[in-house]
Amino acid sequence: MSDLGFLSPDRARAGVGFEPWFASPLARALAGQTAVRDLSGLGKIEVRGDVEAIDVDAEVVRITPRRALVLCDYERRADLVERLPGMAIDMTGALAGLELVGERATRRLTDLDLEALPAAGKVAEVPAIVLRDGDSFRIFFPQEYGHYLAEVVVDAAEGFR
Amino acid sequence: MRLPHREGERIDRSRVVTFSFEGDRVEAFPGDTIGSALYAAGRRVFSRSFKYHRPRGLLCCSGACPNCMMAVDRRPNVRVCVEPVREGARVRAQNVLGSLDRDFLSVVDKVGGPFTPVGFYYRTMIRPRRLWPYYERFLRNVAGLGRLDQHARRSRRFDTEHRRAEVLVVGGGRAGVDAARAAARDGLQVVLVDEREVTPIEGVEVLTPARAIGVYEGGLVPVDAGDVLYRFRAERIVIAAGAIEQPLIFPGNDLVGVMLPEGVRRLVRDFSVKPGEAAMVVSADAAGLEVGEDLRAAGVEVAETIDLRDRQPRELFAHGRRGRVRSVVVDGRETVCDLLVMSGGRQPAYSLLAQAGARVEYDSSRGILVPRELPAGVEAVGTVAGELEPAAVPAESYGGDGRCFLCICEDVTEKDVKRAIAEGFDSIELAKRYTTVTMGPCQGRLCHVPSIRLFAREHETDAGSIGTTTARPPWAPVSLGVLAGRGHEPAKRTSIHHRHKELGATMMWTGMWRRPHSYGDPEGEARHVHEALGLIDVSTLGKLLVAGPDAAAFLEMLYPNRFADLKVGRIRYGVLQTDAGRIMDDGTIGRIGEDHFYVTTTSTGADTVIEWFEWWNAVWRMDVEIVNLTGALCAVNAAGPRARELLGRLTDVDVSNEGIRYLDAKEAHVAGVPCLILRIGFVGELGYELHFPSPYGEYLWDTLLERGADLDIRPFGLEPQRILRLEKMHILVGQDTDSESNVLAAGMPWIAKLDKDDFVGKWALEQVGERGFREQLVGFEMANGTVPLEGGQIVVDGRPGGRVTSARLSPHLGRTIGMAWVPPALAEEDTEIRIKVDGRLEPARIRLKPFFDPDGERLRS
Repeated sequence: MSDLGFLSPDRARAGVGFEPWFASPLARALAGQTAVRDLSGLGKIEVRGDVEAIDVDAEVVRITPRRALVLCDYERRADLVERLPGMAIDMTGALAGLELVGERATRRLTDLDLEALPAAGKVAEVPAIVLRDGDSFRIFFPQEYGHYLAEVVVDAAEGFR
Repeated sequence: MRLPHREGERIDRSRVVTFSFEGDRVEAFPGDTIGSALYAAGRRVFSRSFKYHRPRGLLCCSGACPNCMMAVDRRPNVRVCVEPVREGARVRAQNVLGSLDRDFLSVVDKVGGPFTPVGFYYRTMIRPRRLWPYYERFLRNVAGLGRLDQHARRSRRFDTEHRRAEVLVVGGGRAGVDAARAAARDGLQVVLVDEREVTPIEGVEVLTPARAIGVYEGGLVPVDAGDVLYRFRAERIVIAAGAIEQPLIFPGNDLVGVMLPEGVRRLVRDFSVKPGEAAMVVSADAAGLEVGEDLRAAGVEVAETIDLRDRQPRELFAHGRRGRVRSVVVDGRETVCDLLVMSGGRQPAYSLLAQAGARVEYDSSRGILVPRELPAGVEAVGTVAGELEPAAVPAESYGGDGRCFLCICEDVTEKDVKRAIAEGFDSIELAKRYTTVTMGPCQGRLCHVPSIRLFAREHETDAGSIGTTTARPPWAPVSLGVLAGRGHEPAKRTSIHHRHKELGATMMWTGMWRRPHSYGDPEGEARHVHEALGLIDVSTLGKLLVAGPDAAAFLEMLYPNRFADLKVGRIRYGVLQTDAGRIMDDGTIGRIGEDHFYVTTTSTGADTVIEWFEWWNAVWRMDVEIVNLTGALCAVNAAGPRARELLGRLTDVDVSNEGIRYLDAKEAHVAGVPCLILRIGFVGELGYELHFPSPYGEYLWDTLLERGADLDIRPFGLEPQRILRLEKMHILVGQDTDSESNVLAAGMPWIAKLDKDDFVGKWALEQVGERGFREQLVGFEMANGTVPLEGGQIVVDGRPGGRVTSARLSPHLGRTIGMAWVPPALAEEDTEIRIKVDGRLEPARIRLKPFFDPDGERLRS
């Protein structure tokens, strides 16, 4: 029976001549700028099943009655995957994340109601989950769009300089 | 001429702004518009008319009419009367051949009149037919307004901003401001938009300069603010768009020097510009007459004032010289003047209300159109609601010598409308399309009501029975840049993308993915895989986890072949088909646990397959979870005779042919990274697909290239992969198959296990089996080295008998090979067929077995 270890970046092992290192899909697009923070390294776990039963000390974003996304520090993922109810899948590598400050810049990227977050919708045409903390917006989305979306977000933020 | 400083002027005389007009330097003050500065500098002719190239001057100074459209910094059709001055701006006239003052195309006005009535191009240029291309080229050259700069690059950032408002007020006049203030006092979130500056209002967000360009369903109001289009969703919309002064229809009404009162008012009050020397005022309402005060204050002699409420002249026309007003004749009495200020009263700017769903009705007593029955959530305040001071209804047209222009945008005259009616265009909507009245840049602001009145007179009926034309967005002119907004072109990139570029790969689109076509030598890269070792990024493959107690039963129902008997750690090829038995996708299915299956799909089919799986899971209500792992995992394929040696250096698991057999799936660390190793042979050689967490993409790619350097490992792109898979006769769904293809005809009858109880498309496949099929997918080999086009025709007995789906020169085999659909009768090994290549029929022979390693010995070795 597979424990899906090949999904978990933290299963990588250094030693015997190898020093694995990992890279964010946003690294190149965000290089040399400060307006947007890269959150791709956060731990992201998708839970399938009874999301009401989730009882962990981590941020839980409910997507549907049977699906939730748990956000945590990178180091805590392995532990949380064990403790979460239902089927917990490590999606750290699947989702890129970024933090953008500024309501107006965010409004130029999504038609989501920013007063009703968190919510899932499109950000610059890319499916995403958007969370709000005051004037700061965290956006999680499929990493394969990472370079594209980071370029768009940086350009939109620059429009306010 | 600039007047001495005046109270309330909008210009700041402490500084000077300069711009150029037709290359000449023009001085202006901050607060000026390009139009006011040009007027102050003595310019009177601002444009040439659309059809007759008649000189035209400032008319409204409010951005409503087409008379001042120029190109500013290569942007065509800018209304300079409302365009603020900018230091260094380069302003040029448009729609002229020569100069504004001497336009050679004005010959149309001199001699073309009788030959160019409304709709002339439908009648006069259709014969002889062979000359039409020349006519067309000429017409296209002279028609249209302004020219786009074809070499322009992005100079500005256009954005769309999504906004919400409890109350959105359109218009910052007195009524709009009062409504906004009242709503704010009630504690509501209020936004007010106006094209001109508005004094700040407490508790109200004021957006200027910004124009609402339409009202759509659901309270959606797009607002154009230059570089940003605000998409407002408003709970309450208050329209305070005001009313628009209407011109009078009389001969000479388009001469330079004929202006609307608001135009004069703005020149004098806002910009302290003296509009003329001697003026005559003709107005249907008091607001128009009040402009006399402004004129006198500016030192203009008001030679005569006519209040249409007191008397309606029988005759009214303007004489001009070189297109400018020289005198005005009223009932036989001539007054010399260089300025004629005229107003036919004001018409509510109801368009946004009509777009919102309000009914519009002609009020015969006042001669205006008024909005009625507003939809819920939409309000009208102020003059737009019809709250106007008493005004005279002007005559449909006034008599005299010369042409009366009804529509100055499109140069449509009173006579044109009469002719259209005589030709049978008897409804206002049809006449509009034929004459193009109301279809020009003013969008009916200055011609809609006069055209209805004129139409009624010609039909000898009441204007109330004529109806109106439909009000459509955009209400205000809007640039294509604002409409387009930010150019979103989402691209998917694998986590190794940038390494490919650094290695010199030519990138190509496959669906939304960016993939390496090759690294410069597709044939060499393909050959190298056979001879040594190649590495390809296959992260674009769709990857799904199908997990749960019913996972095996679920796949058994979805695929035509068997999966319940697939052993843990083994892989099987699968083809997905629709209910109608048509091939929709293919890929591999690995059983990585009793209840866990790892499914790969084609790169472009992933989203469709996931939806397909989720759909059936919802229908069958099985205990299965489907997780999209496409982006979570990076995947590379190391393929070639030396692949095992490379893998052996990077992992401590047994990589021998017994340790990892052909079609085995095994989890192991490779170079320290957790991997799912799939031993698959899409490219026909010994190969290992490594699937691992995406963040390690660059690391593992680099490590494989470094540790395989002495094995001469080389990256290969999509094009060499296509050659290699063709050598193996592996199909590409969508390339070798289309929406009609089924597995029986595609040469894969072994995959359909018709003895299974059921699977998606089983019934359809049984029907195909009984009825047979018309085409069969086969391989072919050209007798010579020619390469037919994909889609090329196969000719049987002189008729089209099939088509080529794939064709490549195989560098390894030294022959041209391909796949094609042919009639089943020809689907025999070695049958000769003929394929059309560059118009010639070239011989080829049918092949039913893979061109390379037909028995798969190299795959299994």
